[in-house]
Amino acid sequence: MSSSPLTADATQPTAHSESGPTLAPAHRSTAELLICLPALAPDALPHALHAIAAAFPNESVLVASAHAPETPSDFPSLDIIPYASARSDVGWILAAADYASAAQLALEHNARAVILLGGDTAALSAPNALDPTLLRSLFDCLRTKNVDLVLPRFAVGPNDALVNSALLYPLSRALFGADIHFPLPIDAAISARLAQRLGSTTQRLIALNQGSSLLWPVAESAAAGFSVREVSAGSAAPPTPPPPATQADFNALFTSIAGSLFNDIESKSSFWQRARGIYAPSVQPSSPPPIHELAASPEIHSMIETFRLAQDNLQEIWSLVLPPQSRLALKKLSVLSPDVFTMEPDLWARVVYDFALAYHLRTLNRSHLLGAMTPLYFAWVASYLRFVADDPARATHAIELTAAAFENEKSYIVSRWRWPDRFNP
Amino acid sequence: MGHQMAQQISAALRQSIHRIVLVLASFLPGILAFLLAVVVFALIGWGLSALIRRLLIAVRFDERLASREAPGSTGILTEWSPSNSPTVLAQRTIFWLLVLAGVAIGISAFDASYADDARYSIFLLPYVAHIAGAILILLVGTLIARFLARSVLIGAVNAQLQYARFLSLGIKWLVLVLSAAMALDHLQIGGTVVELAFGILFGGIVLTLSLAIGLGSRDLVSRSIEKTMEKPATPRPTEVPSRSDPDTPPRLRHF
Repeated sequence: MSSSPLTADATQPTAHSESGPTLAPAHRSTAELLICLPALAPDALPHALHAIAAAFPNESVLVASAHAPETPSDFPSLDIIPYASARSDVGWILAAADYASAAQLALEHNARAVILLGGDTAALSAPNALDPTLLRSLFDCLRTKNVDLVLPRFAVGPNDALVNSALLYPLSRALFGADIHFPLPIDAAISARLAQRLGSTTQRLIALNQGSSLLWPVAESAAAGFSVREVSAGSAAPPTPPPPATQADFNALFTSIAGSLFNDIESKSSFWQRARGIYAPSVQPSSPPPIHELAASPEIHSMIETFRLAQDNLQEIWSLVLPPQSRLALKKLSVLSPDVFTMEPDLWARVVYDFALAYHLRTLNRSHLLGAMTPLYFAWVASYLRFVADDPARATHAIELTAAAFENEKSYIVSRWRWPDRFNP
Repeated sequence: MGHQMAQQISAALRQSIHRIVLVLASFLPGILAFLLAVVVFALIGWGLSALIRRLLIAVRFDERLASREAPGSTGILTEWSPSNSPTVLAQRTIFWLLVLAGVAIGISAFDASYADDARYSIFLLPYVAHIAGAILILLVGTLIARFLARSVLIGAVNAQLQYARFLSLGIKWLVLVLSAAMALDHLQIGGTVVELAFGILFGGIVLTLSLAIGLGSRDLVSRSIEKTMEKPATPRPTEVPSRSDPDTPPRLRHF
């Protein structure tokens, strides 16, 4: 079989049994597991298929791929079917259309479980990019524990996945009661019934030609009463994209992800106002250690400088969003020297909640709103980096402190969401 | 002598009062016609908008529109609707369209009642329409100025430009001055004086901004030259130091 592309347009979300003429139809009509691969380079596909074959030697596995391998006989245990992965607005994360395609394929082939793999194509094209152990863990957790959504928990360093630690994880945990450390998944294992649910959710997006937008499966599962778990990915690092080259690129990515999250929070407000969070035992804050590396860390200085500049210039906008108490706390924070610069987790939680509320109320243009939030995020990052500078092991503690603060302040967002005009000093 | 003077004063006063009363009497039908047209059309608009509202609620217009939009997001129509309700938007649009139609017809009636008096029709009537146009220009200009000023301010702060506020104010006043000049031009006030003043003012603002940015960007230019000469510069929050350089701290990954 030749390795010609199965579909010409990888942006189309449909699962296209008609549009992939060059691949032989699947041998099996049913499969225990369906694995949807992102658009890999033809020479990277054999590596991925080897990893899948090694992970599932005894299961009937359907692999949905944009290309066919040059020598399919090397993988007798795998059936390969055509599939076109969509590319989300932010690039490396699974798009809504990916879930829709997977749901359609799972339905067609009567698959009981689906593993969706995303990530940066260039990173995935490297040999050993797919970890058979992780694939196996995802499937085992899904099958043996009767869970509907299983997500990998990657090992990240103290300087990695900062938006996730600052926003995505704490908000997801506090509002949706899901203790999932990476709620915006790059890889995901889903049960057939959740796949159908997500597929139907995404149909409207696809009908509006918004298949490339992000989907939040953890929130979706929590709101629909499906069970969610995470499994350790060992020492594997998450397949992250190339870092944004310029400030404008960063702003666009930050706005896109934060905006999508706020949208999701808005659409599920009736759920999270009733839902009970995890309310893990309160984590006692400890004072940040004196920082020695600060002089060698111009990035922290730069972030604090951005925050101070915003404090001087964005008061007019912040005053529309933040109550006086938060603005006073930010003012005090702005005059602190970098040596003692600490943004308290509860202040950060309230600030994020206030911005989520302003997003909902359309207090001002949404792109302006998210742009005005960026310097506050930098303040949190600077504070966090100071906290973990001496001891990277404190990163987990810092993230836990932040998440706990979001849970403690949940009553604040619920109250403000219900009565936004109430006096709030 | 005194008596004769008093009679002349009295006659002059009577004549002037008579002229004023005549002017008012000739004004009154036009004004009444104008008010009547506005009131009648406002009433028709009120009735029609209430009817449309009932009709749209009956056919569940908002729900149908929402079902065609992405979950969690809102379409353009919903975005611009008061209370996020396209039904209310349609209702108010119809009402105000009819009010505007009433105003137009009222002006036309006013014009008709003055058809025989060139002094007023020439002087007053173009102004009623022009004033409305000028107000619209000023309103739109103010909205655009505010939007652009905020965009520039936020972008400049995130780009760590120290003169962010100055830049934002410059953009705001550029647009405001432009709209004011357009409004005056629309009103045909000032003629070449306005054009000249606008040219000088606009050019002055642009020159000031150019000088400010030029002088303020000295650091940027020098940093750029330093980079060219392979000297390290202070990174921005999202600029990532290379791993290959052992002196740089561990790189940050925001995503």
